[in-house]
Amino acid sequence: MTSLPPGLLMIIAAALLPFVPHMARQIVMLGAIALSAYGLVLGAGTHLVWDVLGFQLVLYRADSLSFPFAVIFHIAAALNVIYSWHDKHWSQHCAALSYAGAAIAALHAGDLITLFIWWEATAVTSVFLILAAGTATARRAAMRYLIFQVLSGVLLLAGAAIYAANTGSIAFTSMTLGDTASWLIFIAFGIKAAFPLLNGWLQDAYPEATVTGTVALSAFTTKLAIYALARGFAGTEYLIWIGAAMTALPVFFAVIENDLRRVLAFSLNNQLGFMVVAVGIGSELALNGAVAHAFVHIIYKALLFMSMGAVLHQVGTIKASELGGLYKTMPFTMVCCVIGAMSISAFPLFSGFVAKSLTMTALGDTGIMWAYFVLLFASAGVLEHSGIKIPYFAFFAHDRGFKTTEAPLNMRVAMGIAAFLCVAIGVFPAPLYNILPYAVDYHPYDASHVTGQMQLLIFAMLAFVVLIRMRLYPPEIPSVVLNSDWFYRRLAPQIGRPVLRGVIMVWGSFLCQMRGFVEAFWFVIDKLVRSPAAGPTITGPAALVQLILLLAVLSIVYVASIG
Amino acid sequence: MTDRPSKTTADMQKMGKYFTRFLLGIAIILAVLELFLHRHGVAPIEDSFMFPAIFGFLAFMFIVQVGKWLRLMIMRPEDYYEGGASDD
Repeated sequence: MTSLPPGLLMIIAAALLPFVPHMARQIVMLGAIALSAYGLVLGAGTHLVWDVLGFQLVLYRADSLSFPFAVIFHIAAALNVIYSWHDKHWSQHCAALSYAGAAIAALHAGDLITLFIWWEATAVTSVFLILAAGTATARRAAMRYLIFQVLSGVLLLAGAAIYAANTGSIAFTSMTLGDTASWLIFIAFGIKAAFPLLNGWLQDAYPEATVTGTVALSAFTTKLAIYALARGFAGTEYLIWIGAAMTALPVFFAVIENDLRRVLAFSLNNQLGFMVVAVGIGSELALNGAVAHAFVHIIYKALLFMSMGAVLHQVGTIKASELGGLYKTMPFTMVCCVIGAMSISAFPLFSGFVAKSLTMTALGDTGIMWAYFVLLFASAGVLEHSGIKIPYFAFFAHDRGFKTTEAPLNMRVAMGIAAFLCVAIGVFPAPLYNILPYAVDYHPYDASHVTGQMQLLIFAMLAFVVLIRMRLYPPEIPSVVLNSDWFYRRLAPQIGRPVLRGVIMVWGSFLCQMRGFVEAFWFVIDKLVRSPAAGPTITGPAALVQLILLLAVLSIVYVASIG
Repeated sequence: MTDRPSKTTADMQKMGKYFTRFLLGIAIILAVLELFLHRHGVAPIEDSFMFPAIFGFLAFMFIVQVGKWLRLMIMRPEDYYEGGASDD
């Protein structure tokens, strides 16, 4: 049982969920996650290989890089089960569990083909979490999401095929960016990691998913891509540029976005940027930083999405322009949200601080100062959108007179566990540091570092206070913010439709001409058959008999000649 | 007839005042600590007096200001996509 790839048991269990009653279903899911996690005890090594068509599919390969991701993916899957406990219908549970299982199985793929299979499985399973919202907007967003996810898989497969042809191997190991294969694989990873201009699907689709679906979505796909980049392209300098752009650009969009779950999606993109930069640096300290950041990020991002999900569940809206004053009616959710906000902002004693400081120190060691200051700038941006905007506009700002209560108990339990983990990791980072890929001799809590970070955060908060008091902070306006998805949602159709119309017109005219030619051809044939140039008209059966006789004579002559 | 703020609004205003004072208190403590503590950074400029504080304050202001400008360019009505059939 333990030699089964972790995650596979979760997928098998997901297939059984429609036949299990509600309460038992939740327990089955937690049991499947626990059993899958138990599979990790095998430790580092290659545990399951399958020979197919001359290639070795490595279904279960574990090492110090996959382990921390596997641990946090299991934790996230369990948190999601608890958070969605109140949902009595099987469909979302089935999608979420199989999605988490596919992501965990992908972590343990030792070759590119196995990775491709699970890579696509995460796409196909997760799209149901968006479709489950049941709105026309969600359905359209889900289709766009699926197109991008499948495109990523197709590029990965194409890259893997070329890689296999060039090297004779399909092993998923470190690659050097240069040839076609490596670029295709790099772009495939880049789509799921939401690189600039490839990120539209993230902000488009995640906020359209269900309350519980967004929490699951926030955990797996993008972090799987970070893992894949760390495995395949650690130390690739392009990633520092790409990651720096990812940290800085979304903060401006998040300032003016009205949908608070979409603000969190921009924030997710910004956080991925920190991890991508760390992977780009590629040193042991930096890779530890990328992994630690992914680990804590999954928890605090899930916590923030859970708190906003709780607000949406209770109030029915998540627009900043319609929210406010909920701190009185949803105090527990507010406290959890603030803990998530402080964690993502990297306040000392919260989980973000102990992880992000690894990356910042590693970046400082490289001497790439422009990137260092971009990330420092982005840290103020994180505070702005996730640290302040989310809790402020949801729970304070304006009293909208909502008469509501706290979210269901299961939601509060999940938020409570996530909040506890955020503080626990921040106060005691050693257990996290112990499971990082490389041995860590790093102490985040030195006076210089703590006071420097506190100065940055406290004075940035004072800037917010000044802006609010002087009424200079941009008001919440019901609106949409254009993102890179605009290119294919608006620009491409506007350019493409006239072109398509022209092509259809030319094609129609061509078909019309061809039809004329065909008719003329048959007319001539018909004339020839009915009115031959010489001799009597031959009826159909007589012509057939003559044809058969002629063929028989020809066959006999042919056989005789070769005999 | 005058619109009096609700109790929640009044409470939030009061909390806002306390919170501002709390932030100012921490800011003063950090400024005092800066006089006694040798804070070192990655770049030499980071060693300047209260550099992270100034950087954080200005960065925040800059982000919000750029966001306001950005609204003029990329903000659209809520039904921008759904109103048309372009993304169907």
